[in-house]
Amino acid sequence: MSTPKAEKDLHLPLSRVKTIMKSSPEVDAVGPEPLYLVTKVTELFVTDLAKRAFKNSKNNFLEYKHIAEVVQEDDTLDFLREIMPRKITVQQFKELMAKKSSRGDESDETSEESSDEESSEESSSSNNAESQNS
Amino acid sequence: MAEKLEDLNLPLTVVTRIVKEALPDGVSISKEARTGLAKAASVFVLYVTSAATNIVKNNKRKALTGQDVLEAMSDIEFDRFVDSLRDALELYKQAVSAKKLASGKKKDEGEDVEMVEDE
Repeated sequence: MSTPKAEKDLHLPLSRVKTIMKSSPEVDAVGPEPLYLVTKVTELFVTDLAKRAFKNSKNNFLEYKHIAEVVQEDDTLDFLREIMPRKITVQQFKELMAKKSSRGDESDETSEESSDEESSEESSSSNNAESQNS
Repeated sequence: MAEKLEDLNLPLTVVTRIVKEALPDGVSISKEARTGLAKAASVFVLYVTSAATNIVKNNKRKALTGQDVLEAMSDIEFDRFVDSLRDALELYKQAVSAKKLASGKKKDEGEDVEMVEDE
């Protein structure tokens, strides 16, 4: 009986959400009510994003690219575009670079080689590699 | 302040559980998709927070309220969540006042909220 019933239907830990909210320089205190709502809406958001991404998937298998697709197509998800870039294969990346250099831009050659080294299957279109480690 | 950098991410296992509940049974989710969703959720928290604090600032107030979070949803064009969120806020307020009543009516405002929801 110590927590209000409403808080029990939440999955995400309130303490962690609070820490993230407080990491914003403009926030110094977070009351229980806004904390509850931000947590709640984040759960709604994850549910919504997962369901939409799932529509892009096949064979009951949800992959990163399905989520990235939703993010790239919905303008209200613009804030996620930098952290969820559409990924391309090394093959596609080489073709892209080949096209570029055939247009006479020699300076791209070095960047092509360096990114070949860092990825075996997939190469991120931006250099956001930290989505891999957790 | 957060002690470690991981403290600024939502726990992967919990986010995965939410995703699994949202999707039909038997769906598998790639590791990269799971970390992607967890990261998206963490960034979303900050995104909503900053939209809500903007409202607070514009009104020259200091404290963030639940109403600010609700209003922030329209500002960032997430109106589709407003209705469920408003319901959640109602339930939350009821739960909080029920708790207050249960703890012995220490405060006067406890009287007003008594059983309002049944009428």
